Amino acid sequence: MPRSKGASYRRTARFLTGPLFLLLLSPLAFGQNPPAVAPAANQPPASTQAAPALRTLVVMIDPAHGGSDLGAALNQAIPEKDVTLAIARRFREQLGARGIRAVLLRDSDASLSTDQRAQIVNAAHPALYVAIHATSQGNGMRIYTAMLPASGDNSGPFVDWETAQSSALSRSRWVQDQVAAAIQRTGFPLRSLIAPLRPLNNVTVPAFAVEIAPTTGTVLQLASVDYQEMVTAALANSIAAIRGKLEGAP
Amino acid sequence: MNPRQLTFMTAILFAVAIGMSLYVWQLRRHEVRNPPVATAQHVAPPVSGPMEKVTLWVAHDDLGALRAQSVSIPLTAGRQERTQELMHALLDLYQDKNSPHPVASGAEIHDVYLVDPGLVVIDVSQAFADGQPSGVLAEELTVASMIQTLSVNTPGLMRAKILVDGQERETLAGHADLTGFYDVSQVGELAKQLAAQ
Repeated sequence: MPRSKGASYRRTARFLTGPLFLLLLSPLAFGQNPPAVAPAANQPPASTQAAPALRTLVVMIDPAHGGSDLGAALNQAIPEKDVTLAIARRFREQLGARGIRAVLLRDSDASLSTDQRAQIVNAAHPALYVAIHATSQGNGMRIYTAMLPASGDNSGPFVDWETAQSSALSRSRWVQDQVAAAIQRTGFPLRSLIAPLRPLNNVTVPAFAVEIAPTTGTVLQLASVDYQEMVTAALANSIAAIRGKLEGAP
Repeated sequence: MNPRQLTFMTAILFAVAIGMSLYVWQLRRHEVRNPPVATAQHVAPPVSGPMEKVTLWVAHDDLGALRAQSVSIPLTAGRQERTQELMHALLDLYQDKNSPHPVASGAEIHDVYLVDPGLVVIDVSQAFADGQPSGVLAEELTVASMIQTLSVNTPGLMRAKILVDGQERETLAGHADLTGFYDVSQVGELAKQLAAQ
């Protein structure tokens, strides 16, 4: 018996519905970096429900090291991992006081590899990732961005893990410049550099690392509440000053 | 040989055996009491090439900076041997008592391999890595110093890899990444930033 035309169409439609549905869902399924499409100039901004033009500013703070990874021995009693956690907690408070939501990547003495840290950051997709390090050498603060070619093309649904930062690198360097300029205006000693430091290369959002050294030459300053408050307030002020640009980041 | 001669020879051999045993025992006792002193200096074969002026990129811990320093060292014609001599010259400088960037006692650069096209592999000892002060800046000074010294004196280098005792290690001393290959042009960029201090 020959099939009716309607039944044939229904069968074809059923056959095509699945792949079309998957195709529509693919940008969501494959993460946070769907190919960017520039809106037409004469169109009004899309509503935030359909395609968010502004994102809520969330800063992810990563106290480096932790667990069995002690980091540098700042002195015989103070491992770097404890100082980074204390500074990160104060930094979260300082950002919160300025109306910026901040989350800690570790809020305990947990062991996390740099790959795990990058995975957490890429899944959460914050507006900014800040890694905190501490050292007994030098003076003041250093701000680092990833050591990658700025011209690297690494966008789309799948990115190369080793150079995942390259698509966000120009924004990371812009944030680095703004933060450095704001802190230098206060007279605090600061340097801006690139660094071969994981997981900066592996995160897909604007990212920098900060390494905090004492200004008095004594390591104990790193553990003092006053110094931690001063450093984190300077950092929080510099980020609050550019929050509008960060919220508008793609 | 009559029995008398045989007895005489056996007695001599027995006496020699006892004497040698006592000598070995004495040597062993002397070795235990006076162990050989480990030298901090690397031991390298003498280089017979002509003296040449090269530029070493020297880390200065007090400034947190790199400085170019011209030195004259004997260099052979072979490209690979030249890279090894450059690294030994840099290490000699860091092992000096007035070193601006001291390295641990017993630190060595085992070997430097040139792998075409444009890849250099630097194999350092575990003592070198373990004695490295931990910190982002401290470690990147070491990495940049070695790679920049090689790249400015060895045209054609594009990538560099650092091994520790022939094995890949995650970081130099907790911060500087050693799992990947260093892009020499990026290290040049870093060296410029570190020299600007």
